[in-house]
Amino acid sequence: MRTKKCSQVLLLLFSLLAFCAQNTLASEHYAAQRQQMVEEISADARRLVRSVGKDAFSDSVIRAMSAVPRHLFVPPTRRHSAYENRPLPIGYGQTISQPYIVALMTDLLQPGADHKVLEIGTGSGYQAAVLSELVKEVYSIEIIDALGQSSKRLLQDLAYDNVTTRVADGYDGWPEQAPFDSIIVTAGISHIPPPLIRQLKKGGTMVIPVGSSFQTQQLTLVKKDRNGAITTRQIIPVIFVPFTGGH
Amino acid sequence: MNSSHSKPPLATIFALSAAALAYEVLLVRLFSIIHWHHFAFMVISIALLGYGASGSMITVFQHGLLKRYQGVLVFNAVMFGVSAIACFIAVQQMPFNSLEILWNTNQWQRLFMSYLLLTLPFFFVANAIALTMTRYHERIALIYGVDLIGAGIGAVTILLLLQFFPPDAVLRIVSVLGILAGLLAVYQLSWLGRMLVSLLLALVTVIILFAPADWIELRLSEFKGLEQVLLINGTKHLQRQSSAISQIDVIESTEIPLRNAPGMSLMSPSGTPDQLAVFSDGDEMTTIDNYDGSRSRAYLDYMSSALPYHLHAAPENVLVLGSSTGSELLQATLHHADRIDAVETETLLTRLITEDYADYFGWQQISDRIRFHTISPRGYTAATDQNYDIVIIGLPGSSSGGAAGVHELATSYDFTVEALQRYLDLLKPGGLLSITLWTSTPPRDNLRLFATVADALRNNGIEHPDKNIAWIRSWNTATLVIKNGALSTTDTQRVRDFATARAFDLAWLPDITEDEVNRYQLLQQPIFFLAAKSLLSNNAHDFVNNYKYNIYAVSDDNPYFSNSFKWSSLPELLRISGGGGIAMIGVGYPTLLFTLVQAMVAAAVLILLPLAFIKRNGSSTPARRRNIVVYFVCLGLAFLFIELAFIQKFTLILSQPLYAVAITLCAFLIFSGLGSLYVQHKIAAQQLHRVPQLLTRAVALIVTITLLYLIALPYLTDDIMAQSEPIRIATAVLLAAPLAFVMGMPFPLGLAATRHTDPQLMPWAWGINGCASVLSAILAILLAIEIGFSGVMLSAILLYTLAWLSQPALKS
Repeated sequence: MRTKKCSQVLLLLFSLLAFCAQNTLASEHYAAQRQQMVEEISADARRLVRSVGKDAFSDSVIRAMSAVPRHLFVPPTRRHSAYENRPLPIGYGQTISQPYIVALMTDLLQPGADHKVLEIGTGSGYQAAVLSELVKEVYSIEIIDALGQSSKRLLQDLAYDNVTTRVADGYDGWPEQAPFDSIIVTAGISHIPPPLIRQLKKGGTMVIPVGSSFQTQQLTLVKKDRNGAITTRQIIPVIFVPFTGGH
Repeated sequence: MNSSHSKPPLATIFALSAAALAYEVLLVRLFSIIHWHHFAFMVISIALLGYGASGSMITVFQHGLLKRYQGVLVFNAVMFGVSAIACFIAVQQMPFNSLEILWNTNQWQRLFMSYLLLTLPFFFVANAIALTMTRYHERIALIYGVDLIGAGIGAVTILLLLQFFPPDAVLRIVSVLGILAGLLAVYQLSWLGRMLVSLLLALVTVIILFAPADWIELRLSEFKGLEQVLLINGTKHLQRQSSAISQIDVIESTEIPLRNAPGMSLMSPSGTPDQLAVFSDGDEMTTIDNYDGSRSRAYLDYMSSALPYHLHAAPENVLVLGSSTGSELLQATLHHADRIDAVETETLLTRLITEDYADYFGWQQISDRIRFHTISPRGYTAATDQNYDIVIIGLPGSSSGGAAGVHELATSYDFTVEALQRYLDLLKPGGLLSITLWTSTPPRDNLRLFATVADALRNNGIEHPDKNIAWIRSWNTATLVIKNGALSTTDTQRVRDFATARAFDLAWLPDITEDEVNRYQLLQQPIFFLAAKSLLSNNAHDFVNNYKYNIYAVSDDNPYFSNSFKWSSLPELLRISGGGGIAMIGVGYPTLLFTLVQAMVAAAVLILLPLAFIKRNGSSTPARRRNIVVYFVCLGLAFLFIELAFIQKFTLILSQPLYAVAITLCAFLIFSGLGSLYVQHKIAAQQLHRVPQLLTRAVALIVTITLLYLIALPYLTDDIMAQSEPIRIATAVLLAAPLAFVMGMPFPLGLAATRHTDPQLMPWAWGINGCASVLSAILAILLAIEIGFSGVMLSAILLYTLAWLSQPALKS
């Protein structure tokens, strides 16, 4: 009898050890993949000199990309591809953006440690998590109920405590928390929503990716200057100059 | 049964051919709705290789199959019917995402499975026809003729069915038609046990008719706009209507406004009114505004498309080409247009704002000023003798389709040099032509439009086109306004005032200076301005050549306005594809190339595979086999080259793409069928010696008539377009008839000759022709993009000549 109990305890301990070892191995595996992803997008960034006027993502953005466990923001069946430099479907007809585009959009926002950021289109929650590593507060709005609920739970579980989410229409922004230092709009829009412009601080920046679900064709950077005047700037996410010599 | 004393089951062949062609057209519609059109084209092209596979299979197993001919025919007919519906259901079950295909190689397995499944119905139907031709080889031309006539009737029938029934219901009908063809075969062949077979067939038919609706219900890609809008709380699906060319869905969002206002300025004093969303084939969202006569429509004055109304206040009459769901009509009424002619090809859209949602749209408030014309813009402008103060070309549906490059392979006659010349001719002195397009970065369509407009103005005798053009752009749209006459300083000041008040950028004005461009929507370089300057200069040609996208002016002969692919840019685009660069390559042209490669590999396998068997068992020589390949490949390519080129030519003449496809397909197939029946009549009673003579005459006539049309049609098109609809249709049929009649001859003549010298190779020849036809549909588009439809027709002439030179077995 005693032998049986001992063997049961041993079995339990062994299972626990195996579970812990598996988790540790998986974490290390994902960490290594994450590191590789960061190196890849950093290499891409070096080719951006002519597009955005700088040749690397800021260190803080790279740190944030290295810290956020992207594999937890994609469906379990897609985890093996989580750190590939490509967009992935997350259900509800939505995608988690390509890591390179996430890094670029984040970098364009020039996030500061004391910043308050508004995100329109929470999606998987990954972009909010990356921003959460960089700024003081993130407010994120998702229009699809089920998606909003699941990303809210995930962000809470992962202790991204400075992220507040809600399910609502993003067009009107989040007036109670306005103004924002920067705004990121990942939902498809036919025009730039005036309420969001009003909720952007003077000197603030808004980023809007444009393109189909799997292909970000361009990024629109909206700037509100110190006088409140608005300019937009189109950024191609890669170096591609349509003119050749002589033009 | 001795085949020479029995009658071939012609009614069965007729029904099967009709059903197979109907199924092919139906699949294009079904896949365009659940995925996107370019993907539909790829899948169906590959699936049609079932014809080639059938030829290979019968070549190898023909003796065994012929022994059991009756049973095999019935089996294949029934299996066509069953697999037509079953394979579609199976393909829908696979979680395939065509948008992910560039990123995710796992999608390839699902794509391959889709090919295999959809090949099956065509394989079965091809078996039935090829076996019948082999069995009744002395009446091969008769059977081929009936096959073509059946297909011609099928082409018209499917378009009629799709006009009146939803596509999923039509799938059941086509499937049942296949099974009924099997039933017909049972009776025609007086096959033993026919009662039992009939009962079985009846049972299967009942199963198909009563198959649960949710098995067949179309499951749209979750990435289509319609599916995404339906995920939002408070959205309601109000209506679904379908026609042969589109499926229209109307959605109401009760909690969250839709707020569709393309490129609306941030300075707009008002937002959008309540709107209903309208989706075409589950994507391409447009909206119907709620207008009760009192609410502000001021937002419509804060879009770039409002510019012409600031240059020509209170116009007497306005022509809106492509009125869609009425946004441009409301804009015109807001600016006090007295009379508006609205031209829209899709009647379902017109019906939405004038009948189904007339109260919501406020139709009664504005109806006295608007007259609708259901015709293409080219058809209307060719026929009208009206002159206008303003001609507007409406903005196409949502920008997502353009961004994804899904329209690249669509032809459009609305933006060609010839079209723009005609629009400009319709303007009163001082009148304005205004065209608004979505912008992309780097710009493509907009620069191409500018290049085409510049050419049109020069062709119309305008010496200094730069004096007539104003061009502005918002965040995501650009509006090009062309005046009939030089823009005055008052005009240019008005443009500046309009743009400044709305924070829109100037891209071109006759007196523009470099320091006033690129102020609000900053581009890395002021590309619009630089492009306009170059395109209006003597260096226009160099600029177009050096630009990394294809922005050549578009003509009626090469009407691929949205295809901006340029071979010379491909290496660079591929080099940057890893980061975000994949979006820089539109998917249309690469998809076409990829489809061609796949089809060529599959066709080569299907053609070469039976050779191993033929070498061992056949008596034919390598030279004869080579000639058979050349002859039937050339015919397969050439027939469709001419047919597709004529569909394009007739699209202009008939002013309705749907009519063009229906009438061209029907006329070509039926008259070709009659040509084949004529061959049967001529070579009956063992007069095979007449084959070379008949072939020479047929090819000579094909070459002559095609050359004649090539030369004459461009001169006749405008005159034909100006005629009434019945005359246009009659002219199209009369034009198609003689050419199609002679085009129906070479194939049965070749088969008859092959039967004489190498009877075992007949199914192989049929399969080769099937493979070549698949390649032809893809090659014709690639060639048309590169060298125009005249080039496609000239290529067909060369191919027919090459076929005549090879005429395989005849010489031996």
